[in-house]
Order: sequence, then structure tokens, then C-alpha cells
Amino acid sequence: MSNHDHDHAGGPRSVPAGPSSCAEAATAKEAAYRIDYPLSAARNTRVVALDDEAERIIRSAALLDWGQARFFSITDPGEVLAEVGGSDLPLDEVMTDTNTVVMVATSGENATAVAAIGDLARERGIMTAGLVVTPGALTSDALFHLRPHARILLVPAEENDLIELLRATRA
Amino acid sequence: MLRTDINELLAQAGPGTPMGDLFRRYWQPVLLAEELPENDCPPVRVKVLSERLIAFRDSEGRYGLMDEFCAHRGVSLWFGRNEEGGLRCPYHGWKYDVTGQAVEVPSEPAASNFCANVKLKSYPMVKRGDVLFAYLGDPAAQPPLPEWEAYTVPDGQVFTSKRLQECNWLQALEGGIDSSHVTFLHGGNLESDPLFKGSKGNEYNKGDLKPFFEVVDSEGGLLIGARRNAEEGKYYWRVTPWVLPNFTMVPPRGDHPVHGHFWVPIDDDNCWAYSFDYHPTRQLTDAEVAAMRAGKGVHSANDASYRPLANKDNDYLMDRESQKRGENYSGIEGIALQDSSLQESMGPLVDRTKERLVATDAGIIKARQKLYKAVKALQDGVEPTGNRAKDQKVRSVAIVLPADQSFVEGIGEAMVAEPAKPHTSV
Repeated sequence: MSNHDHDHAGGPRSVPAGPSSCAEAATAKEAAYRIDYPLSAARNTRVVALDDEAERIIRSAALLDWGQARFFSITDPGEVLAEVGGSDLPLDEVMTDTNTVVMVATSGENATAVAAIGDLARERGIMTAGLVVTPGALTSDALFHLRPHARILLVPAEENDLIELLRATRA
Repeated sequence: MLRTDINELLAQAGPGTPMGDLFRRYWQPVLLAEELPENDCPPVRVKVLSERLIAFRDSEGRYGLMDEFCAHRGVSLWFGRNEEGGLRCPYHGWKYDVTGQAVEVPSEPAASNFCANVKLKSYPMVKRGDVLFAYLGDPAAQPPLPEWEAYTVPDGQVFTSKRLQECNWLQALEGGIDSSHVTFLHGGNLESDPLFKGSKGNEYNKGDLKPFFEVVDSEGGLLIGARRNAEEGKYYWRVTPWVLPNFTMVPPRGDHPVHGHFWVPIDDDNCWAYSFDYHPTRQLTDAEVAAMRAGKGVHSANDASYRPLANKDNDYLMDRESQKRGENYSGIEGIALQDSSLQESMGPLVDRTKERLVATDAGIIKARQKLYKAVKALQDGVEPTGNRAKDQKVRSVAIVLPADQSFVEGIGEAMVAEPAKPHTSV
């Protein structure tokens, strides 16, 4: 009998069996009994373009079908955002009732606006992600400005990384 | 979230599948060298990429990897006699050399050329360090021999173990890419495990439980940087390389050996974790090797078949008291089993249409995307990366950098493996 046949008190360890044992619960057969129900829309994402090229990228993504994702562009000083297909809205309002902001940058423009988003996100506990779409460049002003304010950065991101990220996170 | 068809495409690596075709562009670990320890030793069954094979080492020390079953009546050659330069089926005496070529068919007349036309499918297999790598793909597309640093250092500087993981390879790989789980699942082990404890980096880990991440695209795969606060406004970076399709490394801690893994598909429901520790500039100490053999660090204590002693049949020896005391966050002992117990609990192939990823899973999202693209590109005739020396000579890094410095810029050549070059560690 190996040591592993004993529990920590030194007594014999019983072999787990039945539906609650790991051995049975981890089978493909048991996977069929996982309960099936619609997932609630927990993600409420705001996608923000930080320059003109980034705006082109998010406009293209905005044409697809999303849950609650909304798409905006912003310029310094970052007090107002323009919603794709919509009107201008104050940053404070855009950052209300959201839990994720995805910032897209292709250049180092509008650093003040990035900081404004980042500061408000930090204050309100909003997750921040940044896509640095600078093909072939591992360092850039866009990365430099986003780094303090994005909890996760993709460097260099490809254009369709935005769609992949939004799809994977059920935006 | 991942569509069912893409989930299955990425997860299934059997012959003729798209991901199977991709895997068959790489040398993959298939055995530890200790499993074929001497000439004419017993043959070993190998199941890899959903193919049943037999491995043996002939009288001249040559390694063979071929179809497990005798061409005559389909008998398993595991029962074979490994003798005089070949593996002989015990049923009727048919004998094969390491290329799978039949060299004797005793029932045929002495002058018969019958056996010249009998050949079992076979694959090249080479020893690198303490691991045997095989290539199961098209011979015309065979890449150069593996150049992973762990397997080019001098003898005594590397230790590899393997363990059975009873779930699909992709679940295991994603655990290797996902740096954000370390703080929780393995947090209790940083200062207790002999292969982790005592480094300055551990203090940074414990002092900043909400790291920032940067996922950097590289030619061979990804570099995943986890950033934590250090002193004087500096950042502590831990950089994890992933190289296509199934190689990951763990960033180093102090002068401890460096760890990493290959996540090798056995079939659609199981994989091998080949886990290594190596040191680029010195021999592993007896104490380090003893700890590795005992299942510390990224290794596990296994039975003779390389199945962990703590496994799903004994509920991984779950210890709720240890969990309560905070010694082991999940109640499971050992980093390797902490990972595999959770990954196996997802089921053999997790339904990724139900998952709810978050932004910090971007490394996983990007890796899936790169795998998918590599599969599609190969279908269009574009050869993948990750199987060339320049992709494989990569290191994990732990480093403190100024806040305004990109980690890629800051680590520079520290990511590049070179003989006897000290690794960059904190």
C-alpha cells in the first residue's frame, strides 16, 4: 500500500466512487448532463478608437452583430466621444453601466484622452484592454500611451483581433 | 467563446485532421530516453497524435518507431522479441528493423524476396537530451532536428518528466499560456516549493495580485508579459513564450532551473505533459533533481506508467484542511496536479461555446487564433513557424525594467538562447 492510500490522519483512504467522484464526473458521458441555459449578457463593452485609422477599424467591426457592445471615437482632451452611427456623448456617460473598455490605437495621438479613459476606468473598476495596431512594430507611441491604462494589451494587434476579442468575450 | 466546429478543429490532432496535419510538421516528444534505456531493451507502446505505434532500440542502439501491429496477422509487437538488430513478432517470427522493413519471414523459402515488399509504416525518432523526439509527417516536409535549449545543454543540466493528463491537449496548453491563474492556484507554493522558493520575484508576485498583461506577437508564437509593480516606479516583468503548436515556458525565479512543457496529444481525450527543468550555465544539483523526481516544481509523482499517483480515481487526494489553511489554494498538492486536476475536471473536451472569457484571457484568444490561422495557411500550402531553430532558441525571462520601457525592448537578447549564456532572472 502506498502512502497515497492513507489519509492525513494515517487511516485508510476510501476510493471515491459514484457520480460525485472526479473519475466519473470528468467523463464525456457526464459532460452531457451539464445543464444548458442561456448565458446572461454580463459583458457591456465600449470600444473606443483613438485615431482616424483606429476609427476605420472599429467602424468595420461595428457593422457586425453584437450583444451590448457600443463603438466610439475620441480625441483630446477626451471629454466627449462620438458614437459610431450615433451622437456625441460625454465620457462620464459612456463609462456608466459598462464593465469593459477596449481602446484601439494605431498612432500615439490623443494621449490625454487615453489617460482620461484610464483614470475613470480605474476609479470605477472597469476592465481596460488595448489593441496597438501597428503592423510589424513592437514599440510605438501608441503602446507607450496605452500601457499605463490598459490592463491587457495586444502588441502589435491585427485588425481582426478586435473582432476576435469581442467575440471571445461575448461582447 | 469558441464555435463548436473550431473547437473540434483545434483539439483533434489525429491523422487526416487539419490540426493533425499541422502537428505533423513538428518534431514531438514521444518518449523519455529512460523508457528505452539500453540496446535490445523491451519495446514500448507509443500512442501519439491518435496513432498506435511501437518504439524500440535495436542491438546497434538505433531507435525505431513504427506501426504497433505486425503486418501478418495484426498482432501487437509489444509482445515482440527485440533481438539481433530487429523486433520479431512472437506469433510467426516475422522480424522488422528500425525502419519498419521486414527482414525475416521465416515461413517463406530462404531465397524468397517476399519480405522486401513488407514494410510497416515508420517514423524517424531521435534522442535529444533525455527525450526522444519523433516526426510523424511527410518526409518531404521534415523540419530540422529540434533545437530547444533544454535539449542542447550538456548532460546533467536538464531533467525531463512526463505525466498523463486525461483531457484534450488544448486545455492543457491553454493552462500553460494563462499567466493570470498563477497568483491564485499556485500562490501558496511560491515559498514552499524547493524549485520556486527564495527568489526576489516571489515578493513582487505576492505584492501585486492584479498584474497587467501584454501579449506580443512573435514569429514563432507569442510572448506573454505579466507586469507587476516593483520598487521606485519600476515594473517586474515575467515573460512566457509560447511556440507553435504546443511548447510553453515558465519565467524563471532566481537561480532556480528554468521550467517548460510540451503538451503532446495522445488522442482526442488525453495528452502527455512533457515537463522539463534545465539550467543554461550549470549542472542541476542532486537536491534539485531529487525534488524533481519527487514531483516538486512543474513535475509530479507518478506510477510506472507515468500516471500521477494523485489522479481522478482518488479525487487527486483532495485535502480540504490544507485548502482551508491556505497551503494549497485548491486543496491539491503540487503545481502540476493543481493544473491538471482542474483541466481534467472540464471533461475530455470542454465545450467552449459555454465559456465566458475575460479581457485578461487575451493570450488564450490570440493563441487559438494563431493556431487556426496556421492550420488554414498549411491547407493553402504555407508552411508553419515554430519548427525552426530561430523559433526554438527562445527563453523565458524575469526582469525589472523602467516603467516607460517596452518589455520586448528591455529584455532584448535575453530572450535568445545561446550556449552558456546566463538566463535573465529575478
